[in-house]
Amino acid sequence: MASLSTGAIEALANGSGWNEAVLQLVNIRKIDGGSGPSRFRVMMSDGRHTLSSFMLSTQLNYMAEENLLVPNCVCVLKRQVTNMLKDGRRVVIILEIDVIKPADASGKIGDPIPYSDGQSRGPQPAPVPESRSPLQPQNRNEAVVRNLKRDFAKKTPSALPDTPGGSSKIVPIASLNPYQSKWTIRARVTNKSSIRTWSNARGEGKLFSMEIVDESGEIRVTGFNQEVDKFFSLIEVGKVYYISKGSLKIANKQYTSVKNDYEMTLNGESTVIPCEDSCDVPMVQCDFVPIGDLENREKDAIVDVIGVCKSVDELTRLTTKSNREVSKRTLSLMDISGKLVTVTLWGEEAEKFDGSGQPIVAIKSAKLSDFGGRSLSASFSSTMMINPDIPEAYKLRGWFDKEGHAMEGQSLTEVRGAGGRLSENWKSLADVKSEHLGHGDKADYYSCIATIVFLRKENCLYQACPTQDCNKKVVDQQNGMFRCEKCDKEFPNFKYRLILSANIADYADNQWVTCFQDSAEAILGQNAAYLGQLKDSNESAFDEIFQQANFNTFIFRNRVKLETYNDESRIKATVMDVKPVDHREYSKRLIMNIRSMGAK
Amino acid sequence: MAGILDVPKPRINCSMLSQFINRAVCFIGRVEKVHPTGKMFTVMDGEGKTATVELNEPVEEELSGIVEVIGMVSNKGEIMASTYNLLREDKGVPFDLELYNEALKVIHDFPQHYPFQVAASG
Repeated sequence: MASLSTGAIEALANGSGWNEAVLQLVNIRKIDGGSGPSRFRVMMSDGRHTLSSFMLSTQLNYMAEENLLVPNCVCVLKRQVTNMLKDGRRVVIILEIDVIKPADASGKIGDPIPYSDGQSRGPQPAPVPESRSPLQPQNRNEAVVRNLKRDFAKKTPSALPDTPGGSSKIVPIASLNPYQSKWTIRARVTNKSSIRTWSNARGEGKLFSMEIVDESGEIRVTGFNQEVDKFFSLIEVGKVYYISKGSLKIANKQYTSVKNDYEMTLNGESTVIPCEDSCDVPMVQCDFVPIGDLENREKDAIVDVIGVCKSVDELTRLTTKSNREVSKRTLSLMDISGKLVTVTLWGEEAEKFDGSGQPIVAIKSAKLSDFGGRSLSASFSSTMMINPDIPEAYKLRGWFDKEGHAMEGQSLTEVRGAGGRLSENWKSLADVKSEHLGHGDKADYYSCIATIVFLRKENCLYQACPTQDCNKKVVDQQNGMFRCEKCDKEFPNFKYRLILSANIADYADNQWVTCFQDSAEAILGQNAAYLGQLKDSNESAFDEIFQQANFNTFIFRNRVKLETYNDESRIKATVMDVKPVDHREYSKRLIMNIRSMGAK
Repeated sequence: MAGILDVPKPRINCSMLSQFINRAVCFIGRVEKVHPTGKMFTVMDGEGKTATVELNEPVEEELSGIVEVIGMVSNKGEIMASTYNLLREDKGVPFDLELYNEALKVIHDFPQHYPFQVAASG
């Protein structure tokens, strides 16, 4: 039989605290949260006193909603935090609670009386009736609870919205937490996203997000639906605002490098007011990682970096898999560690970037990739600053002008082949197998130098739909017509396309690969149409082409992926690109590898 | 001359000449100046140093560009050529003399991995 922790209520109410208090739940009341989550107000008893100033933390709302917490159940208060209100009263936020005895197993234990702490400095009468008669019928409680809520609101200096620079107390961003809602912060907006809309089974909506910073730290803020209308156009990047009464929750760190365990959502009660006096508020909060340390970070990590833009490449355009055209530019960043890393910029940022004069470039929330060893990419949520007004930038400039400019630097991103923009990932064919490339969720890509040792000339050609961009195999209707299922049409002709199965080998191992049209034509030195013609008309000439193509050496860029057909898993390798060997680049790479191996 | 063709001929540059005195070597360099008699010319290696090559008979053709010389190193550090071979400049990838020099250094730094001293079979 659980006995309650007598004296715990008094201890919790006066601030002394009590660990693992065993209490009986007397009453639980839902408080509608407006546009935020509902809150549950709980009255607990230790057999001697009752206290109604317990609030369930929102992450435990499910316990109330699923009727795990009902009057008369006995619980152990495992984790709580006590907040002091401005009038001196305490509210105990329940962070973790276990029900050790269900409600029906026990009636009311003891004959507790409401605890009045005598410290209450609240002049309003409303709190007093509440604590004297906690068990009054529903409506009375409701009225009292609402009163209490209004009291809380009243006690907050209401001068805040009217005189921002006045008597309101500003709290640091670093102190924000989900258990206090009556705060005001003063922060600068460092990054604002555009409005994004969504539409799914549950409905539609829009949101925007931003990152704000003050002397103590930074935090990510999101506004939904009505808050978008209220605040989006008001907020400008670089300006400082007083923000109050947002809701806090645990942060999803996947998309941002913002250092805060929590993130904020603007709700119906939140206010955003421009601040005139802003010079104290820092421009940006970054936790820069030395470029040399990037090797030790996990791929896909989000990091902040700063360095000198030692060199910048030409703007290029490429077409994505979804047939969109996008601009791209790479630059080389170097810092005091003497190491260099390649950074990729996209879209407008790539187009606008001016790397002349070797500026200091700082990027917040850049994405680290293992492309070419280690490289960085500026994504949608990255912020790039050129010659920022921060001490790290000045330090870098000083170092670079004195000694850095003369350094060659060692790049973390693999040396690209002449004219090659891709960071190649050189592997021997034995490495591909021993490193289990392709066994993960995503396909792996690698480059190798290998010699063709076998070409399968049987079934290397198929009849494809003559429509441009449709490569589906057509069905021979045997009446002179060919049917394409994808286009749902019949044609009197077709075009030949290649799917070439080949075995390639290097000093270490061999590999079966599939070459599609472009790479197959490059290997065979003939186009598919001509080959198709030869196959039908001149078999020995057709064979000759394959003889000539055999035992040639190329640079292959291959894609490997584990594929499963009917319970059987096999590694499939596809040739993405085939190029003649550039012996100079190859020699340089070999010499570099030999030297670095020799140095170890 | 037959004798020299049967022996392994290590590839060297100017810095290594002194270590290969009285031995058969293979030297690649860029032709600098041809002596008026045509029996001697200078070559520059990938490091920018120069060596002298002496021939038995005067050269009959125009000597320019990269040349590969096979011969014996004399006491004075000159190469007594048995035969030479001009690399064609009009075809293929241009010969990278500096890269060749880097490769030479690797071969000499790691002789255990480049065992050229296997006697050629008769």
